[in-house]
Amino acid sequence: MTYYEPKPHKKFFEKTLEDYRDSIWGCARCNWCQNHWAWNVKSAEYSEICPAFHEFRIFPYAGMGKMHIARALLEGDFDYEDAPEVVKFLYTCTTCGACELNCQRLQDKEPLQVNETLRARLVKDGIGPMPEHRNLLKSVKNYDNPWMQPRTQRDRWARKIKIKNIEKEPAETLFFVGCTVAFDNTQWHVAQNTATILLGAGVDLGMLGTKEVCCGSPVARIGDRDTFFDLAQRNIDMLNKTGAKEIVTFCPGCFKALSHDYAEVPDVPRLQAAVYHSSQYFDRLITEGKLTFSRPVNKRVTWHDPCHMGRHCGIYDEPRRVLEAIPGINLVEMERIKDQSWCCGGGGGARTAFMDFAQKTAAKRIGEAKKTGAEAIVTSCPFCEQNIGDALNAMNDEMEIFDLTDIMIKAMYSREV
Amino acid sequence: MSDTRQKVIQKKLPREVYSALKNVVGEQWIHESRSVVETYSKLSIEGGSFVKKHEKDPHVLPACVVLPASTDDVQAIVKICNRYHVPFIPFTNGQVFCNPTTQDPTLIIHFSRMNRIIKIDTQNMSATLEPYVDYAQLQAEAMKRGLWNGGTPLATTVCKLASQFAFAGLWQTDLKYGLLNRNIISVKMVLPDGEILSTGSRCIPRAGDFWEYGPGPDLMGLQRSGLGTNGIVTEITVKLHAWVGDDALPEIPGGRPSLKHVHDAKYDSPPEPLKNHKLLWVEFKDLDTQLKAMREIAHSGVGIGLNATGVYSAFYCSQTQEMTVQRCKEHFFPDWNCYVILANTTSDQQIAYEEEVIRQIIAEVGGTFLSETHKPEVLKALQPWNYDCIRHSTGYRMNRKFYANAWLPVGPLEEAKTTSREWKKALDLFGEIDITDRGGADDTPFVYALQRGHFCLFETDNYPDPVLPEEIKKAQAYGIYGAAVVTKYDLGPQLMAFVNVEPFTTMFPEAGPNAHLFMRKIRQVFDPNSVAAPGRQVFTEQEWQQFPAEIKAAVNAMRELNGMPRVE
Ligand SMILES: Cc1cc2nc3c(=O)[nH]c(=O)nc-3n(C[C@H](O)[C@H](O)[C@H](O)COP(=O)(O)OP(=O)(O)OC[C@H]3O[C@@H](n4cnc5c(N)ncnc54)[C@H](O)[C@@H]3O)c2cc1C
Ligand code: SF4
Ligand code: SF4
Repeated sequence: MTYYEPKPHKKFFEKTLEDYRDSIWGCARCNWCQNHWAWNVKSAEYSEICPAFHEFRIFPYAGMGKMHIARALLEGDFDYEDAPEVVKFLYTCTTCGACELNCQRLQDKEPLQVNETLRARLVKDGIGPMPEHRNLLKSVKNYDNPWMQPRTQRDRWARKIKIKNIEKEPAETLFFVGCTVAFDNTQWHVAQNTATILLGAGVDLGMLGTKEVCCGSPVARIGDRDTFFDLAQRNIDMLNKTGAKEIVTFCPGCFKALSHDYAEVPDVPRLQAAVYHSSQYFDRLITEGKLTFSRPVNKRVTWHDPCHMGRHCGIYDEPRRVLEAIPGINLVEMERIKDQSWCCGGGGGARTAFMDFAQKTAAKRIGEAKKTGAEAIVTSCPFCEQNIGDALNAMNDEMEIFDLTDIMIKAMYSREV
Repeated sequence: MSDTRQKVIQKKLPREVYSALKNVVGEQWIHESRSVVETYSKLSIEGGSFVKKHEKDPHVLPACVVLPASTDDVQAIVKICNRYHVPFIPFTNGQVFCNPTTQDPTLIIHFSRMNRIIKIDTQNMSATLEPYVDYAQLQAEAMKRGLWNGGTPLATTVCKLASQFAFAGLWQTDLKYGLLNRNIISVKMVLPDGEILSTGSRCIPRAGDFWEYGPGPDLMGLQRSGLGTNGIVTEITVKLHAWVGDDALPEIPGGRPSLKHVHDAKYDSPPEPLKNHKLLWVEFKDLDTQLKAMREIAHSGVGIGLNATGVYSAFYCSQTQEMTVQRCKEHFFPDWNCYVILANTTSDQQIAYEEEVIRQIIAEVGGTFLSETHKPEVLKALQPWNYDCIRHSTGYRMNRKFYANAWLPVGPLEEAKTTSREWKKALDLFGEIDITDRGGADDTPFVYALQRGHFCLFETDNYPDPVLPEEIKKAQAYGIYGAAVVTKYDLGPQLMAFVNVEPFTTMFPEAGPNAHLFMRKIRQVFDPNSVAAPGRQVFTEQEWQQFPAEIKAAVNAMRELNGMPRVE
């Protein structure tokens, strides 16, 4: 495949390394995949952007390195047995997309797509993923969730909330809860808050309850395409059958899977419903006057952009507008925000396989947040909350982390839900 | 081409060398696994490393990568290299010229851990940096203190100043501030034999680090442009200048891109130049008028930057390669143009006054300002320059395909005509590789007026497909031909390559004369064991004998094409 040769249209999940050949060969070593876009650099300390390169300091960890490894594998310069370490390099990547965005902006090239395609190749060849990921994959196949939890436990978070089961009662809007929050009782509050806010605003809301299955995002990121295709097919069929016009989810992983990734899977039908991240939905409800905040929340907070919601899907302003609509909230920004946001370290399977690296990355984000003088980090991603929260605990730091809905609930009700 | 599935096997360092190095940096910071060394082997604009990749030449693979944390570490590493006769290559981003040319197992010394800004001295207006500090980092910290370093290269702000010491430092604002190599106060270097050299006033105890001269002859002058061959910069002190803009570059009102819509032009569109700065764009009817206007502007002493971007703007200001090509085809950007960067460095009225001067010059020489009434769509498309002229981000767009070969002669302004003419001749002779090759040719080369117009740099390039080795080889032929042209027409030293690096140092003895013989002597003094980036700047007699005959033949062919005698 040469540079100007017309490329056959292929969906992302159909592509192989060969489809990226010109891109891989053309990696210009410009190093933008490791660095914050220069126009927005505000300090030396926060001028890098790839968590993996930042920690390990050699190129295989950066987007650029993946391009060079891909070239060598594609051309047969080496094979897995010559370089077993490749698996570690490819999976010590949070799939944050910072490299991809800067590279596309400058070079029209795709280091993260190449890394994900490499991962898929590794999985297909039985070399990847990391051993830690294999349990996760097994669990998804056996239990429809990555956390080895029985399906019957999926709706326990909702026991005290009156929400329609969409299979029994039709609803306009489907609440797609996602596995992480549904099965982790320390995160139930996010699902409970979201449902409470939406129902309170008069949204005709339903959920799939115990029938919900994993969206497939972790599986896709790890590179098990066959399992992902199966999950995509099942989800699309089931979601289309509900007749819901809209789907709302707060998990950026689910959001990206439903709104972007399914469209890139070959031979599956289109998802009929419009998909919203909850912050988009809240923002709309506020504009329509259906959501108001009466109780001041006097806090200086900073917003952490989850990568799969921000950089990957372009949702930067909506959560900020929601926060700004809350009386008493003083939103202060970190240096690396929006497209140049620093990843929490938890994504792409990195937390599962490289906890230490994930925690160090989160600690760096906390340091950046503290520089703003904020008392709390607010975000809207169960993985970010978990990873940053764990790092805060380990550091014994008084800074707090909230989900966006925690702050909203405080501004709406006299007691927490 | 070789067997396409043939493996490329790296050489390894002898175990005792590896252990000795490991003892210096610790296990975590030394790597020799196959995939790691791969990522230090295919470089940016070095066509040779691409061709060698296609040919599966194992010699582009280093044996090992080591990451020192301090000058002491670097010194210890270099001493080990001397003890065991291991060649080493200093490496930052690896954009150019790092490629090992040696047949022996070679060590890469990567500076990614040496990334501290050691000091910003606001009183004496200077900054002292470790080798992995880049322009963006330095600017961000300096601007907060009302200072800046004077510019950034097109190679973008992720370039490190220490590797540019060995190289160039060509900026949009060189008219006022001069190249990086005019802005260096001192360096601390580990010499190829492991000795440490401090240059300038910093080497006098308690004198301070404020002046590029120390006792005796100018030792930095001897080291500058050494391309890693004369030693390793472990600290560099550069001048800072007054900065009159905001303490950070303002946000772009268009917002921030996401992966969904990253190619939208609005994310590249700073609406106005920075505070206390202004850009004026002028279009001309031909190259003669352009050069005349540029000469007058440079002589008048106004402005902090004066450059002609020609159709290069098609790269920098286009969000995709398709747009670039389309704009080249349409001549969307004026073929003959220049832009002046004005700044209120001394007074709030300075820009207004200097603009008046430029308008008078253009009225006399001829030319039209791009404005709301004359080609506003072109002016709008040029908006990335509003920030790029200060802190360059988009320069690497010329590398989207592959920027394999450049002619970069320096000389008086008028010489741009020779470069343009000869480049056109070369295109006729060899055929263009890509439509964008004419970016610097039929229309105008990129012209930078440097150091108040005392001399200029003209850039022309071509852009082969990295997947096609025959195209890269063709681009290399342009490069060799360019070296011949530069020598034939006494166009002055090329800024980056060719007559400053082998094989051209030896193959063009007219440029010197015989400078390479003197450089060989210097190399023998500094690098008695021939371990520092061997053969980069000048070959030893023995290396020259071993140099591939086909490349010597290619250079001689280009010499003959230009009516120059063969060199043996
Ligand atoms: C698209 C493009 C545009 C460019 N535009 C410009 C421009 O506008 N202006 C300009 O000046 N340059 C420009 N360049 C060239 C640019 O200067 C070099 O690419 C840059 O210096 C390379 O930096 P690097 O960190 O990648 O160096 P490397 O390639 O890693 O090193 C460059 C050389 O310096 C040596 N070296 C590295 N570190 C040290 C050290 N600490 N001590 C001693 N030697 C060392 C290396 O061995 C090598 O020989 C451009 C290059 C490209 C590809
Ligand atoms: S930004 Fe893209 S082209 Fe540049 S070094 Fe990284 S992967 Fe290569
Ligand atoms: S996706 Fe993020 S972590 Fe992975 S290589 Fe790119 S920048 Fe680094």
